Amino acid sequence: MRFSALLALVSLGLAPAVRAQEKVDFNRDVRPILSNNCFQCHGPDEKTRKGKLRLDTAEGALAASVVPGKPDASELIARVIAPHDDAAAMPPAKSGKRLTAKEVDTLKAWIKDGAKYSAHWAYIKPVLPAVPQTRFATANAVDAFLFARLEKEGLKPQPEADRYALARRVALDLTGLPPTAAEVEAFVSDKTPNAYEKFVDKMLAKPAYGEHFARFWLDLARYADSAGYADDPLRTIWKYRDYVIESFNANKRFDAFTIEQLAGDLLSKPTLEQQIATAFHRNTMTNSEGGTNDEEFRNVAVVDRVNTTFLVWMGTSMACAQCHTHKYDPLTQLEYFRAFAFFNNTADADRSDESPTLAFWTDKQREQKADLEARVADLEALLKGRKPDEAKTEREALAGLKKQLAAIKPETSVPVMKELTGAQRRKTRLQYRGNFMDLGDEVREGVPAAFPPLEKKESLSRLDFAEWLVSKQNPLTARVIANRFWEQIFGTGIVRTSEEFGIQGELPSHPELLDWLAVTFQKDWDVKALLKTLVMSNAYRQTVKVTPELFERDPENRLLARGPRVRLTAEMVRDQALSAAGLLSPKMLGPSVRPQQPNLGVSAAFGGSIDWQTSAGEDKFRRGVYTQWRRSNPYPSMSTFDAPNRDTCVVRRARTNTPLQALVTMNDPVYIEAAQALARRTIAQGGKTTEERAAFALKACLVRPATDAEVSRLVKLYDDAKAKFTKDAAKAVQFATAPLGPLPKGVEAADVAAWTVVANVILNLDEMLLKR
Amino acid sequence: MHPQLARLQATTRRTFLNGSALGLGAFALSGLEARGAEPSADKPLAPRKPHFAAKAKRVIYLHMSGAPPHLDIFDYKPELQKRDGQNCPDEYLKGKRFAFTSGVPKLLGTRQPFKQHGKSGVWMSDAIKPLHAVADDVTVIRSMRTDEFNHAPAELLLYTGFARQGRPSFGAWTCYGLGSESENLPGFVVLISNGVQPSGGQGCWGSGFLPSVFQGVQCRSKGEPVLYLSDPPGLDRDTRRMGLDALKDLNELQEKELGHPETRTRISQYELAFRMQMSATEVMDISREPQKVLDAYGAKPGAGTFANNCLLARRLIEQGVRYVQLFDWGWDFHGTNPNEDIRDGLTKKGTTTTQSVAALITDLKNRDLLKDTLVVWGGEFGRTPFREGRTAGSQVLGRDHYPDVFSLMVAGGGIKGGHTHGASDELGFKVAENEVHVHDLQATLQHCLGFDHTKLTYRFQGRDYRLTDVHGKVVKDILA
Repeated sequence: MRFSALLALVSLGLAPAVRAQEKVDFNRDVRPILSNNCFQCHGPDEKTRKGKLRLDTAEGALAASVVPGKPDASELIARVIAPHDDAAAMPPAKSGKRLTAKEVDTLKAWIKDGAKYSAHWAYIKPVLPAVPQTRFATANAVDAFLFARLEKEGLKPQPEADRYALARRVALDLTGLPPTAAEVEAFVSDKTPNAYEKFVDKMLAKPAYGEHFARFWLDLARYADSAGYADDPLRTIWKYRDYVIESFNANKRFDAFTIEQLAGDLLSKPTLEQQIATAFHRNTMTNSEGGTNDEEFRNVAVVDRVNTTFLVWMGTSMACAQCHTHKYDPLTQLEYFRAFAFFNNTADADRSDESPTLAFWTDKQREQKADLEARVADLEALLKGRKPDEAKTEREALAGLKKQLAAIKPETSVPVMKELTGAQRRKTRLQYRGNFMDLGDEVREGVPAAFPPLEKKESLSRLDFAEWLVSKQNPLTARVIANRFWEQIFGTGIVRTSEEFGIQGELPSHPELLDWLAVTFQKDWDVKALLKTLVMSNAYRQTVKVTPELFERDPENRLLARGPRVRLTAEMVRDQALSAAGLLSPKMLGPSVRPQQPNLGVSAAFGGSIDWQTSAGEDKFRRGVYTQWRRSNPYPSMSTFDAPNRDTCVVRRARTNTPLQALVTMNDPVYIEAAQALARRTIAQGGKTTEERAAFALKACLVRPATDAEVSRLVKLYDDAKAKFTKDAAKAVQFATAPLGPLPKGVEAADVAAWTVVANVILNLDEMLLKR
Repeated sequence: MHPQLARLQATTRRTFLNGSALGLGAFALSGLEARGAEPSADKPLAPRKPHFAAKAKRVIYLHMSGAPPHLDIFDYKPELQKRDGQNCPDEYLKGKRFAFTSGVPKLLGTRQPFKQHGKSGVWMSDAIKPLHAVADDVTVIRSMRTDEFNHAPAELLLYTGFARQGRPSFGAWTCYGLGSESENLPGFVVLISNGVQPSGGQGCWGSGFLPSVFQGVQCRSKGEPVLYLSDPPGLDRDTRRMGLDALKDLNELQEKELGHPETRTRISQYELAFRMQMSATEVMDISREPQKVLDAYGAKPGAGTFANNCLLARRLIEQGVRYVQLFDWGWDFHGTNPNEDIRDGLTKKGTTTTQSVAALITDLKNRDLLKDTLVVWGGEFGRTPFREGRTAGSQVLGRDHYPDVFSLMVAGGGIKGGHTHGASDELGFKVAENEVHVHDLQATLQHCLGFDHTKLTYRFQGRDYRLTDVHGKVVKDILA
């Protein structure tokens, strides 16, 4: 068994392999050993299969190397225990792999038991499991599954976190922003039994909810405001971003959300919204570097669409099968191109104008256009049948009108999917080694045989495929998506490898819970209901306090014997600072904006400068989700906090903790500006005494009352800083005003500068960067 | 379970899972296990041992963005000169695609004088005169090959082993494998001259699916060396320290209350940032160098030049930085303007830049650093033995992109001096002997650093990935 997987199982008490009294389970114990050590040469890919031996199927194993019930008579065992220098030893010495004694024992026990194979767990349709009993108090089924497990592990849940912590945690998780002071106070003083539920409902109803979950979805959609590759020109596609925000806010059913994005154009009489949705797959990169072949990069885009679709909805690494049959999962190269065929007939073709696009006009423009078009029609009617040398005035007028008409440019546009018809349709052929010029036989649309079949039809479309993805028969989609939302709320998925549910993925920590969530979610595909179930659980509401023993036992908090505590995402870090400072603009939707960023003095290769002019007014203080996303140069401070460049689909962002992050929140002018604004707020609204003000500033950021120890430490900092700035007026003015601007009347520069130091420290607290 | 085993597992688990909690993900332990440790969460860049004892400890990679015309620099082709102006034979065009050439182009012999240099007699043209003096310190590979003929994919293939975005770069792999010797500086530094990013963009120094601590940090020789390094205007060091002391005290209160070890890590990252503010500013300030050193490199304090970056590369590795990547723009010799002419344009570009390269190699040698520093000089592909199609009618002589054969120079860190490896055919269209694919180059450079390229792997989406993808063989012939 792979070492890390073994550790994961140990840490979860999942009984690795051969506990004497427990039966060996093929999926849990045996397949990982075979997959990690054998499948590369003895797996599904017949091209690289050695010695005609295949160990991924029972037939293959029984044919030659496994004798059920008789480990000692099984060649498999003989080979894995052969001495390392024996030519017959497996895995071969040059692979650097070697089975541990424990793994060998597991294989023996499995063979002794009859060497039973079973299908990979994730390929079997989930059924609603019975909800287990537990002696701990539960709020819903989520708790029952989690706590029954804690009981087995000899652990117990923690008490509920205090109301302030809970308010901040759930507000951050559902809206990406801390709650307002008024919301928190109302919640803290609400004595009704369902106070928390009311608070949760309020958060789910805020428009900020859609912005927050859009951010998560836009990583999957690899949304960016530029086309990528070498010159990375800007691309207009923000209507799609707005579509995602509005869909989450409208709590659109997830099946509809899926179908619209993958095949909205193929619905009967698609609405404007359904057409915009198809920009999901127009977020692929377009290569306009001179000398590149459009057909080559159109193919790359189609490949990306196939890979992204399987990754996002089914947690399946289809990408491996583009060049060769998958080494681990039952996916053949032919099946890859059958899936490819679904996406191979759209009109886009790596063109620099991104056509086809959908244009948007203002009402006024629409009127103007209608008016002009009517006049053109009139004139054309008038001129009909007249000779070219007649009616010169009218002809000139007509030309003028046409020019005016052409001069009206749409307000914005969005690239969309448009299916080719008739003779324009492309034939899909298998591409040897994934090379678009090395073609094999023609391939028709279809889905891999390992998954439930698509309904047989004369011809299959992208729409059929999208519907298949969200059909109740699909074993993966509901699990994969429920797991993604779980990961957003609890920090780590029930399947930690949320990008990989195939044979090489990790096993779920709580398989029944995952199935319960999947089947429940699948009923109405109600995203808000799913999220509400998660945050209403007692498990979610526990305090995050942890003892060294418990931390040692479960450092990743997979068992949830305490509340979830993970670092905020890049966007949340920035939005929160602006919000605490009172600078954050509530303005929603529309074209992307350019907040302050340092000039790098660098250009993209063959492209324009990647520096930008900061947006004016409130636009520079908009939420991170509206920041212009240039792939060649993602917003530097967010990229330092692990925001990806979104060249391709990103399922899981890293959560690092680096000194460069400290430099951002200490020195980035955006954060200095926030500190200055918070300092001014503190002086204006924070009360009279230094103590009151310190407590105010801390509460503005952390959404909880400050402790005495905290207040006195901040007061000391203020006093020391004030003394320094009083001696140096010029520095005081500089630190209090650059970049926010001149001080309001009646305040002293040294005072504001000292409070700015305090505010900068609070904005850098560990607690600011994490959920509490 | 045996108590000792349980304890052992708990300890290992802690190191391992601590890592994952910070996004260090699932390490493929096949290679790392043998070395006994994987990057820890607290100090992911702590120095680590390679698979086997190795000569090279660090890398300076000098990339000439756009791809130098190797036929006018290293690969002397008298036969091509003889047949200059003739139609390119059909056999070299059939089934081929070129970026900017269609139809039948004309063969183009070099206009640069070529001679053998050094005791070893390495062929070099006069376009790179300053390098003649270090001929005995370098290996020139004349049989390089790549799969890509557009800049961005070729650069990505060279640096990440894959022609599309998303894989970790060579520098990231190096830091993942070896950590860094510097406590106060990033382990992987990127320096760009002439103000233009390479076509492959940040993917050339990205960490792909490796944790982002391993990605290259772009430093600038002009202005603030690292983004957000300077304290804000009006805040002096003392007041910053004051703030950091308060931050530490408050974070410790929090650590005590909640008991999360990550708080401790964050405290140390802030202290590291504070130290980095000083050390990065110092190391990037070349005005501290004696005038004769500046002159040797052709460096001028405050400029954003390749010369400054070469000098900075030496200063950075002296401070323990593991990998320094330079990109110099302006090597795309299509012939669309006089700067891109393979005659005077190339002589000018070649002379100015190789002055700094030669100075760097000499400087490293004098400081006894060349023996354990790999220095690589080259582009992402080669250039055609014929005139580029678009500019064929103009006065300027240029060449199109060419992947099938090109040249590259390597020095130091266990590489032979005064050595030429491989050859192209008589017109320079194909590798004639000892082909070195970019995957082979990667395998060889990793070998010099002490890694078996098939074992330095990282598991992502269920597969163990490595720099060389599924290819690569070590070129033993160039190893000292």
